[in-house]
Amino acid sequence: MSGYGGVSADLAAVEGRKHMNMDKVMTVICFILLLIIVVIPIFMIIYNAFFYEGKLEIKLFTEQLTEPNNLAAMWNTLKIAVFTTIFGTIMGVFYAWLLGRSDIPAKGLMRALFNIPYMFPPFLGAMAWDMMFNGRSGYINKLLRELFHLKAMPININSVWGIVFVEVSYYFPFVFMQVVSALERMDPTLEESARIAGARQRQVIWKITLPLVKPAISAGALLILTTSLAHFGVPAILGYAKRIYTLPTRIYEVIYNSGGSFDGIRQGAAISVMLVVVVSLALILQNRILASGSYDIIKGKSMRPTLIKLRGAKIPLLLLAILTLVMIVIVPLVMIVLISFLKAYGLPLKLENFTFAQYQKVFAANGTMASIRNSLFLSISAGIICMFLGTLIAYVVQKIKPRGSGVLEVLSMLPYAIPGTVLSIGVILAWSGRIAGINLYNTIWIILVAYLARYLSFSMKTSSAALLQVHSSLEEAARVCGASHTESLADVTLPLIRPAMVSGFFLIFLPAMREVTTSILLYGPYTRTLGVQIYSLRDAGMIPQAAALATVAIGIIIILNTIVTKITKDKKGV
Amino acid sequence: MGDQIVLNHVTKRFTTKTLGDIVAVDDFNLSVHEGECFSFLGPSGCGKSTTLRMIAGFEDLTEGEIELCGRLVSSSKKNLYVPPEERGLGMVFQAFAVWPHMNVFENVAFPLRIQKVNKTDIVKRVNEALHHTSLTGLEKVFPGDLSGGQQQRIALARAIVTNPKVMLLDEPLSNLDPKLRETMRFEIKALQRKFNFTIIFVTHDQSEAMAISDRMMVCDMGRIMQIDTPENLYNKPCNRFVHNFLGESTFINVVIKDGKVYPKGHTEQALDLRIPDDAADEMVVATRPNEIALTGPSVGGYKTHVEKRIFLTDRTEYLVPVGDQLLKVQTPHRVAFAQGEACSVHLVDPMWYPADDEAADKERARRQLF
Amino acid sequence: MANVKFNDITFRYGSNTVLEHFSLDVENGKIVCLVGPSGCGKTTLVRALLGLIKPETGSISVGDRVLFDAARRINVPAEKRNIGIVFQDYAVWPHLTVLENVCYPLKKQRVPKDVIKPRAMRALEQVHMTEYANHLPNQLSGGQQQRVAIARALVVDSDVLVMDEPITNLDAKLREEMLLEIRMIQKRLNATILYITHDQQSALQLCDKMAIMQQDGTLCQYGSDEEIILKPANRFTFEFIGVSNFIPLVKDGDGLKLDCGEKIPYPGEVPPEAAGGGYELGVRPNDIVFDSDSPLKARVDSRVFLGSEYNYFLSIGQKQIRVQQSMLDARTKGVAKEGETVGVCLLNARFYPAQKGAETT
Repeated sequence: MSGYGGVSADLAAVEGRKHMNMDKVMTVICFILLLIIVVIPIFMIIYNAFFYEGKLEIKLFTEQLTEPNNLAAMWNTLKIAVFTTIFGTIMGVFYAWLLGRSDIPAKGLMRALFNIPYMFPPFLGAMAWDMMFNGRSGYINKLLRELFHLKAMPININSVWGIVFVEVSYYFPFVFMQVVSALERMDPTLEESARIAGARQRQVIWKITLPLVKPAISAGALLILTTSLAHFGVPAILGYAKRIYTLPTRIYEVIYNSGGSFDGIRQGAAISVMLVVVVSLALILQNRILASGSYDIIKGKSMRPTLIKLRGAKIPLLLLAILTLVMIVIVPLVMIVLISFLKAYGLPLKLENFTFAQYQKVFAANGTMASIRNSLFLSISAGIICMFLGTLIAYVVQKIKPRGSGVLEVLSMLPYAIPGTVLSIGVILAWSGRIAGINLYNTIWIILVAYLARYLSFSMKTSSAALLQVHSSLEEAARVCGASHTESLADVTLPLIRPAMVSGFFLIFLPAMREVTTSILLYGPYTRTLGVQIYSLRDAGMIPQAAALATVAIGIIIILNTIVTKITKDKKGV
Repeated sequence: MGDQIVLNHVTKRFTTKTLGDIVAVDDFNLSVHEGECFSFLGPSGCGKSTTLRMIAGFEDLTEGEIELCGRLVSSSKKNLYVPPEERGLGMVFQAFAVWPHMNVFENVAFPLRIQKVNKTDIVKRVNEALHHTSLTGLEKVFPGDLSGGQQQRIALARAIVTNPKVMLLDEPLSNLDPKLRETMRFEIKALQRKFNFTIIFVTHDQSEAMAISDRMMVCDMGRIMQIDTPENLYNKPCNRFVHNFLGESTFINVVIKDGKVYPKGHTEQALDLRIPDDAADEMVVATRPNEIALTGPSVGGYKTHVEKRIFLTDRTEYLVPVGDQLLKVQTPHRVAFAQGEACSVHLVDPMWYPADDEAADKERARRQLF
Repeated sequence: MANVKFNDITFRYGSNTVLEHFSLDVENGKIVCLVGPSGCGKTTLVRALLGLIKPETGSISVGDRVLFDAARRINVPAEKRNIGIVFQDYAVWPHLTVLENVCYPLKKQRVPKDVIKPRAMRALEQVHMTEYANHLPNQLSGGQQQRVAIARALVVDSDVLVMDEPITNLDAKLREEMLLEIRMIQKRLNATILYITHDQQSALQLCDKMAIMQQDGTLCQYGSDEEIILKPANRFTFEFIGVSNFIPLVKDGDGLKLDCGEKIPYPGEVPPEAAGGGYELGVRPNDIVFDSDSPLKARVDSRVFLGSEYNYFLSIGQKQIRVQQSMLDARTKGVAKEGETVGVCLLNARFYPAQKGAETT
């Protein structure tokens, strides 16, 4: 017996030595990179929130926890997130049902349009709504006041409800998309059998259809909740001036007021811990709910579901849908473009007040062109680095499966749960000279490091999914055909997951182009990004210029999106 | 026994972008008797499922009328359509369609809750239905944790709990493995005897249909081909399609000359067959591989040899030349001829059909796409 | 092409023994089907042959080349074994065209560039796929992808071609066609093919010789289809290859009796080794025929018409057996009614030592 065992062990050594080493090297690289990108910044936040000069010190944390401004911000954050989730979910489910189950016309077109808010940066939308319904100077507000001879402005967007409204209009597609695809994949006989059982159409909706898509609804709703909790842009634009803070804007405020001093950053770190706790609770809730209630509702032969005839309600509902689209897509867009042509903010929207001067100013200013360059550089490099790093981690986790591969997976997903503002603080604490004397503060590299941490999970997820699709027999077939282990990797596995890697790149590149949450805390005099530049122009009162740059940014986003759709459509998948 | 389901001139037409007009169901007339198990059998695209969906009330009719238990439920002329929930039917679907968010008890109780039956009656009737479908003890379990066979039993229990007069079964066994299919078939028949409902059973599997039905309808390309008992359909199919569809078939093209039957193109040896009175000069003789007797060459019959022998698991298959055509013969393993050995074939009472036409095949291919 | 010799192969996954002292000789220029229920170790054997796993003991040789020998510590790596393989899921690389797929093994073997394409085209010709040379696999049907996989396995003049359940994923009609195709290719090239399947039917249709493996990973019977069908060596082969009834035979007084709850005299002949009892009688459902003269009587419990046959359940004593009556018999001899008592003959009966604790259905 022992003789056999010995032989087999020897053979393993003879055959496997070389590859084992390559696999080991890859595993070690993954751990080191994740340590640098993820573990250190997170550790630094926790350490600085609770320790001071090497000693445990709870005082700072308890101080921040009991500070009325912070408590108010916490309260606002929760209020905004909860109401955004409720209204966004109702809206998403309603339109998903309308497009997925009723006989409303022009479904394809409407579906495409409902996805637009998804690619549009919400803080630009907030700017547009501020221009229209600012409590003091909103254009439409003024118009309404004159029309109806009102004493005060009729609508004040600079309020918690205003923030909720704008966030709802950008986040309801999370629910909409999940639910509409669940409805389409659902086996129609599930509903038909309820009819046979004697239920009327209305009863079928309440007792069968909605409960069955509940997992999709809660998945989308929780996505809204976590996103809204960590969101910076909209509350910053709409609430800041009125001193309505949320936790992310409060962190920004604290650090901004302290002029970037270490004390301010430490205070920010303490508030960050509060935010992380809230977001983590939401994420735990999300995992619980998603794990408990996923039904298999897509069996059976594919049959088109019986559409419900809306009859008399068809035209009013169609109008309502169109109106919604106009409100959330077209109106803000038009407003920004109009303002960008104004000579000065506040002038009436008349032809004689229009000019191209703002665009000239924007392009003449050094900062603007630099910000576009910075954003391009950052999003392209973050995209490329994450693409390779994410694929490497995915390969190690899926195929090599070393001891601790679970830890690896968790570490790469962890930053996804951490709000952008918090991540920035971690990066500042880690890379401004406190560790090994490396000081990246005020350079573009510190933003890049933050982007890497923030977006790594995106590419890791897509590459993982693609690698799961590459059946081991494909690699084995190459081995039998005479390819070595490395050759089979290069000839078969990598080419097969290339489309997924490319789409992983774009999944990072596009949001990174319009990023503001992370970079707002990290930018230095020469390292403004596109989002930061728009934000600062507006902050400095140069609203028409901000609008002009926003118009340019939207143009860039639309062009890039079109290119991406073209490219990814032509790609052949696994 | 009265007629429980009556279809009068039922027609359904679709217009599709790619294939133009399709007559999915063309002038169906049939009546199903009370307590009968009646199958709709045919290849995909033959109109069987559409017909079932029209009976259930999920599809409108282009023309015609449907009566259920003496009550007019669909009529194109009167634009009358009783919605599915008011037709008092039981129905079981191919993909089970049990609701994954309700446990077994709630699934079966649902039709009663909709009817606002009082609580004690619900418990009593659900328990009874679960008992008859061997699901007792699984009340609290959710369907996702059960096997395909058990899920289909839930669907059956849910269908019988309201005690309907008519049960529509839409390929209820196709998603189950072969062994389970057989047991479920027996169970459905047992339930029918117990609750005494009329069954319409839709399937594309001929042996399943034959095993379960009292009568069946074979349809093809939206038309009814033949309605009869399984044995009559199998033994006396009205045309080549039905012959071929109801079981493995083997055909010989023959010519009739001077009162004798020859394989087409070969007049050396005649087949020993009685010629029907209305036979044309060219005909097709149809029989089935296991209805042909294979004997030594001295016994008479058509003398030939074994061209090829293939062992199958439960029988031996021989390919035997008849003229230049190959006749397929299947025998139990114990009838052993070697490859190349001389033998005789005897056709026992075959069917005669006119020489074939291609138009029907083309139309069938077109509809398969749809 | 060459013969393949497995000698004394043992393989374990942890404590689970998959193969134990397994030996098999696949003859040159034959199609040998390795058949067995799923989990019997067929695929493990193939992976050992390919060099994807290492057995604990034994040796594998192809022709006179030793690929693996545990005692002599020989283990040729997978890429140097020169064995063609067709996997169950085809494993055709989806990012390469048909031609590129077939060229790949030649490239890896450093074949001179100018002969790669002609050789690949020749391989495609053999599977009738030349017109699809520039297609991508996802533009092909399952059957066509399978042919590409075969061409890729053929192109390097492998010593032996291994097919691991190559047609399981195809529909019934295509399966028949592919079997004919494989047979034709084998004839053209006089190839040695080791064909792995759990499907007795396709194995019978295809093979020159069949090797039947048992659940525990041992070889049950190795022989031609005729030997397997007409002379099954043991109970497992008999049961595995078709539907069967088993009735225990016991010695009672001076004669042999069927143990059917009550003991019923068995009227037929019995081979000498079974004369002492302790044997089981095995009979196929279609080898049981109605014969009113037979002393062996049975009661008809149920009859179902299945089209090509009538399926009966009969009771001999308490023992239920299954009978299939072909339509030919039904027409010439008539059918039996439910509840009737009929005489039956058990034709072609076989006798195997009784299994302990085995309940037969």
